[in-house]
Amino acid sequence: MSTHLSESELVDLVEEALDARRAAHVESCAACRERAEALRAMLRDTAAVEIPEPSPLFWDHFSARVRGAIDAEPISGSLRWAWLGRRGLVSLAAAAAVIVAVASGLHLARAGRGGAVVPVTVAGPAAITVGAPDARIDGLPDPDNAEVWSVLTTAASAVEFDEAHDVGMHVHPAAIDHAVQGLSAAELTELGRLLQSELKRSSN
Amino acid sequence: MLTTRAWSRWIASGEPGAKVTVTNPTDAELVESCLAGRRDSFDLLVERHQRHVYQLCYRFVGNHEDASDLAQDVFIRAYRGLKNFRGQASLGTWLYRIGVNVCLNKMGAKTPKPHALDPLLAASDERIVSQAESAADAVLRVERAGQVRAAIARLPRKQRATLILRVYHELPHEQIAGILGSSVGAVKANFFHALNNLKKLMAE
Repeated sequence: MSTHLSESELVDLVEEALDARRAAHVESCAACRERAEALRAMLRDTAAVEIPEPSPLFWDHFSARVRGAIDAEPISGSLRWAWLGRRGLVSLAAAAAVIVAVASGLHLARAGRGGAVVPVTVAGPAAITVGAPDARIDGLPDPDNAEVWSVLTTAASAVEFDEAHDVGMHVHPAAIDHAVQGLSAAELTELGRLLQSELKRSSN
Repeated sequence: MLTTRAWSRWIASGEPGAKVTVTNPTDAELVESCLAGRRDSFDLLVERHQRHVYQLCYRFVGNHEDASDLAQDVFIRAYRGLKNFRGQASLGTWLYRIGVNVCLNKMGAKTPKPHALDPLLAASDERIVSQAESAADAVLRVERAGQVRAAIARLPRKQRATLILRVYHELPHEQIAGILGSSVGAVKANFFHALNNLKKLMAE
C-alpha cells in the first residue's frame, strides 16, 4: 500500500489535478478517501456562496468616483511631468507660440503705423482681438496676474486642433485650462518668465 | 472619459504618418500610455478591472459600502504606484496583490460588518429565494451560505485570502503564490487548512 496522500495531493485530488498513479491510492485507503470527500463537500458549499451583483449603474458611478479621487490627488514625480509633457507643455508651447505671434504682429503693426496700435486678430473658434488701448501685451506680463492666464487660455483656444496636429502637436481644446490649473506657483512663475522673455525678444 | 475609439485616435496620432488602429488596447499599452501622460487611459483600466477588484473586496469585507470604498482605494494605490509596475506579472495579478493587501490591512484595523446587515446582500438573498427551488430548500441554502460566510470571516488571514482567490476568482495556485508572495506548496497547504478549518468552524 502506498503512503497516504499529503495535504497538497489531497487538494490536487479534489481539483482533479493529481496524477492517476497517486489518485489510485484512495481506492484502497478509506482514510484518504474520507478526507478527500470532506474536502470536496466543503469546497462545494464554499463555492455555492454567491455575492450580490451591484446595479449596473454602480459601475458608471464607481468609475467616476475613482476618476474624481484620482483627479483630487496631488500629481507628483514623473507622472506629473509625463502628464504635463503630453497634455500641458505641448499646449503651453502652442499657447506661447500664439502669444509670440500676436506680439510680433503688434510689433509689426506699430512699426508700419508709426507706433499706433492696430488690432491684430487671431482666427479661431473663439477669435480674439488684441491691441486695444488698454491691452497689457506691450508691457511685461505679471505671472501672478490672472489676466495673463486668461490671455493664454483664450489664445490657446484659438489654436486649431487639426493645424496643430499637422505640425506634430496634439492640442486638446481644454488642455490649456487643465495645464494652467495644474501648474505649481514655481512653474507658473517660470512660464511667465519665459513668456516675458519671448515678448521682449519679439518687441525688440 | 476616454473611449476606446478616442484612445485609438490618440495612439494613431502618436506616430506621424503611421496610422495604427488599436481597437482593444492591452493592459500593458494602457499602462504605457498612462505613464506617458494619458490619465484617461487609467479610466479604461478601471473599467476593465473594477468588477474583479470590487468582488475581491466584497469577499473580504462582506458588505457593499466597505467593498466599494476598498476597491476605490485599490485603484488609487495602483495609480500612485503605476510607475513601479514593471509588467513581470499581469496587471490583473498586480491589482489582486494590491487588493489583498488593502483588504488584509482593513481587516486588521476593523472587524468586518456582519454580512446579514448588508442591504444589497439581503436583497440578493430574497431574489434567490423567490427564484429557487422550493421555498424551504431555498431558505436552508441561504442559511447555509450565511454560515459559510461567517466561517470564512473567521479564517486566518492568509487562509482566507487563499480561499477567496482560489474558489471565487478561480486563480491558479501559481498565480495565488505570486500574489501572496509564497510558494505553490504553501498555497495548497493554506487552501487545505482553510477548507478543513471551515468545516470545524461550521460544526461549532
